[in-house]
Amino acid sequence: MSDPAIASRIDGFAAAVSHLQLPVVDSGAFVVDGLKPATVVCPKSLSQLQECLSEAHNQRLYVTTIGGGAHLHLGNVPDAFDVGVCTPGLDRIIDHEPADMTVTVEAGVRFADLQSALGEHGQFLPLDPPGDDRATVGGILAANVSGPLRHRYGTARDWLLGTRVVHADGTTSKSGGRVVKNVSGYDLHKLYVGSLGTLAVIAEVTFKLAPLPKVDRTVGVACPSPAAAQSIISAAHERGLAVVAAELLSPPAANAVCDRGAWTALLRVAGGAAAAARTMDEIGDYAALAEGELTDEPAAWERWRGAFGPAPLSLRASVAPSHAAALAETLDRRFAGDAGRITATSTAGLVRMNLSPADDVRASAIIDHAREIATQRGGFVVVDAAPLAVKKQIDVFGPPRSDIEIMRRLKQQFDPERRLSPGRFMGRI
Amino acid sequence: MAEEPTPSYVAGEIPHGAVTAALIGELQAAVGKRYVLSTPDELLSYEYDATIDRARPQAVVLPETAEQVAAAVRAARRFDVPVVPRGAGTGISGGALAAVGGVVVALTRMRRIIEVDAENRIAVVEPGVVNLDLSKAVAKHGLYYAPDPSSQRACTIGGNVAENAGGPHTLAVGSTTNHVLGLELVLADGEIVWVGGRTRDLPGYDLAGGFVGSEGTLGIATKIAVRLMRLPESTRTLLAIFNRLDDASNAVSAIIAAGIVPSALEMMDKMIIHAVEQALHCGYPLDAEAVLLIEVEGLEESTAEQAGDIDRICCESGAREVRLAVEQADRDLLWAGRKSSLSALGRYFPNFYVLDGVVPRTRLVEVLRASNAVAEKYGLAVANVFHAGDGNLHPNLLFDERVPGTTAKVLQAGAEIMRLCVDAGGSITGEHGVGLEKRDFMAWLFDDADMAAMARLKRAFGADERFNPCKAFPAHRGCGEVTAARIQRAAAQIGDENVYV
Repeated sequence: MSDPAIASRIDGFAAAVSHLQLPVVDSGAFVVDGLKPATVVCPKSLSQLQECLSEAHNQRLYVTTIGGGAHLHLGNVPDAFDVGVCTPGLDRIIDHEPADMTVTVEAGVRFADLQSALGEHGQFLPLDPPGDDRATVGGILAANVSGPLRHRYGTARDWLLGTRVVHADGTTSKSGGRVVKNVSGYDLHKLYVGSLGTLAVIAEVTFKLAPLPKVDRTVGVACPSPAAAQSIISAAHERGLAVVAAELLSPPAANAVCDRGAWTALLRVAGGAAAAARTMDEIGDYAALAEGELTDEPAAWERWRGAFGPAPLSLRASVAPSHAAALAETLDRRFAGDAGRITATSTAGLVRMNLSPADDVRASAIIDHAREIATQRGGFVVVDAAPLAVKKQIDVFGPPRSDIEIMRRLKQQFDPERRLSPGRFMGRI
Repeated sequence: MAEEPTPSYVAGEIPHGAVTAALIGELQAAVGKRYVLSTPDELLSYEYDATIDRARPQAVVLPETAEQVAAAVRAARRFDVPVVPRGAGTGISGGALAAVGGVVVALTRMRRIIEVDAENRIAVVEPGVVNLDLSKAVAKHGLYYAPDPSSQRACTIGGNVAENAGGPHTLAVGSTTNHVLGLELVLADGEIVWVGGRTRDLPGYDLAGGFVGSEGTLGIATKIAVRLMRLPESTRTLLAIFNRLDDASNAVSAIIAAGIVPSALEMMDKMIIHAVEQALHCGYPLDAEAVLLIEVEGLEESTAEQAGDIDRICCESGAREVRLAVEQADRDLLWAGRKSSLSALGRYFPNFYVLDGVVPRTRLVEVLRASNAVAEKYGLAVANVFHAGDGNLHPNLLFDERVPGTTAKVLQAGAEIMRLCVDAGGSITGEHGVGLEKRDFMAWLFDDADMAAMARLKRAFGADERFNPCKAFPAHRGCGEVTAARIQRAAAQIGDENVYV
C-alpha cells in the first residue's frame, strides 16, 4: 500500500460501497500467496455483489473472489490483489423442488449445508472434493475440485445446468437454465467451472441432483502390491459392479486414511440392497485372489478428505487410466522420503500426491521430477499447492497447449482490463 | 433514414461476397474438383434438413481432411462468403441450412473411426461417423457410445456435437456434452487447433464444453475424442399402459421422486398409439390414452429391483397394465413402436412439425394439457412422443402443407407451445438446437446482456457472422426472409417480455 494513488482509489471504493453497510472483515484472513488485500467486502445479495464489482472496476482495482477460502492455494501467484470479494453472504437456497431433482442456490452457500438440506429429501450433489467444510458451492465450481465419487458421477460440469455471474464491470448475465436438458445458447457456465474466478464471479447456480443410494458401505482391501490393489478396482470397473468410488492408496496414505500399512483399494459400494450384496460378494472374491485383507472402513472418506487437503506440496498428475497404478507406484518409490502420500482415482487416470519436502530446493526438484515421470507416460502434472518461493518460479499448470490463444482472447473478451485475479490462471492469464 | 444499430449480441456483419467462378476454382484446388458441387441439380439435396425451412447454398464442398476443411474455409473467407458446416442433414432446427447462401462444408466423407482405446474407453472419430456405427464398431469390446438421438442410424457425431444432441437415454447418462472430451477444430480463420483432450483434468478453460452445442457457429470439428461406456450386464424394459394421460404424467414424477433414475422414460399419447398400432400391430391397446416406455440398465440384481419398484409405482399411479421384457427380442418389440412412431404418423398426414421444448418434470401434466389445447385452438392434430423423464416434450403438429394457410397456423401454434414451456420455467430446446427456427424465441429466455456475454465466446473463437450466419441467436439485419421470418412474426404476436429470470 505504499502507492498513494492506489490508497486513494481504495478509499474511493470504500466510500462508494459504505452505504451498503457491509460487515467489517479482517483482510488478514484473505491472504493469497502472500498478497493481503487492502480491503475485503462481503455482499449479501446479487445487487450488492454487482455494486461491489462495479465500484472496484470504477476505481481500477484488482479483485479476487473468495468463497469459504478453501481453495486459495490453487493457481499461480496473482499479479495484484486490492479488493477481496467474499461470497458467503450469498447464502440462500433459492429453489429446491425434490420431484424435479434440481436445486438453485446462491454461490456462497456452504457445500456441506447444501448437502444436508438435500439429504433431508434423499438427494445429493455427487461431489466430494478434499478439504474442510469451509468450501462454498461457488468456490467448488470455480476451482473445479472433485473427489473419489467422480469414479461413478463425473465432475462438477456434468451436474451443472446453469449459472448467473457478475462480470468484472458489475453487469450480470446468465447461461443455461433450471431444467435438466437444455441446449439454448452457448454453455458459458462450463467455461466458468475451473476458471478460478478469472472470467466472472459466479453468483447463482442450478444443479441437477442424484438420489442417495439405499445402501452405502465402504471397504478397504490392503494388498501385497499396488498391482494387486489395482486388480480389484479394475475388476469392479470391468464388471460394472455397484461401486461409486474406488481409490488406490499408497501405504502412507492408507495409514492416514484407514490405519493400514499397505497398498489399499478403498471401495465405496452403493446402490440397491441386492446389487450391493452381490458387489460385496464379488469384491470379496477379488480380494482373496489378490491376497488382500478386507475390512469395513466406515470413517475412511472423512479421513480421506482430511488427508488430501492442501499440503506443503500437493500435486495432481493425470495420465491414461491404464497408466495410473504404475504412475502411483513410481511416484511412491521416488518420493517416499518426502512424506509423500498418494491417492489415485485410477479409473479417471488421476493421481494425487501430498508431500512435505525438507526445503524449497527439494520441492522444486520434486515438481520437475514428477512432471518428467508423468510426461514420459503421456500425462501432465498440476501443482495444487507449493511453498510461495517455489510457486513464484513456475507455472503451476505446466506448459500451455495450442489452445492458449483462444483462452487469452476469452479473458480479453470477459475481463479486458484484467481486473479479476490477474496472472492466477493458466499461462498467467 | 438512420440504420438500426446492430445489437451487442451480434458478432460482426453478414458477409456480402459472392460465390464466383474464381472462388469455385479455389475450392476445387482445396478439396479436388469432384468434391465441389455447384450446379442446381447437385445443390438440390443440400437445400433441406428435417425442418420446414429451405435455403440454397451456391456451392457445397466435401473435404476429406482437416487441412482441406481449413483450405475451403480460408477460400470462402477471402471472398467474404458465408461458411455453413453440415453433417447428415438430419437436424430439426435448420442449423445446417445456408440461411443467406454461401458455401456448405459437408463432412460426410470424413467418416473414419481413427482410434478405439478400449482399455481407457475412449474413441477418436471424424465428424462424419454415423452415431450408431460407432456403437457397432466398439460393441466387440463390450462398449458403446451413449448419446442416442432417434436419428442415430443416419445422424453424424459431428452434427451431434454441433447440436449437443440427446436421445432417450440422456436421462441417465447425459447429452453429447457429457461424452465429448476433446476436439480438433478448424476455426473461422482456417487455423487448426485442439481444445480439450482425453481427460477432464486438463487445466485451462473448458473450451470443449463451450464448443459442444454451439450449432456450427464457432468452428468445424474435424476430430472428436469421446468417452465410451460399458454395455450394461442387464436391461429390463417396461411398457405401462394408462387410461388417462394425467395418470401417466404423474407416474413419471412418482418414479423420479422415488429416487429411481431409469436409463430411459418415454411417453407416447393416444395419437401415436393409434398410428403405431395400425402400422406395426405391436399390441398397443387402442383405447389407452398414454403408454410409458421405461428402461433400466445395470447389474441383474439392480434392474430386477428397479423394474419391480417401477411396476408398483405405475400401478399405484393408475396403470391398467404393465408389461415387462427382459430378453433382447422382447425388448426390441416394446421399443419398435417408439422407434417407428414418427414414420407411422405419415399414414395420417403428409407433414409433421416436431417441436422440442423442456419443462420441469413437475409441470409435465399442465403443460402437456395446455399444449394440446393450443393445437386444438388452431384445428391441428397433435401427437406426443417424448422424453418424459427429462421433461423434454416433442409435440408433433400434423398437417398438410398443400392446404393454404396451414403452415402459418402450424408455426403460430408451435410458437405458442414454446412460450408455454418458457412460462413454466423451461426451455425452447432440449436437444434439437435453436438454429434458424427458434432464434427469435431466444429473447424469452435470455436478455441482451446474456446474449452479449455469449457473443464474447464467439469472438474468442475468432468467429463472426461469416460462420454459419443467422443461427442460434435472434435474427438481425441481413438475415433474409426464410420461413423463420414468419416465426419471428409469430413470436412478436405473443409478446417478447423476458419472463425467465
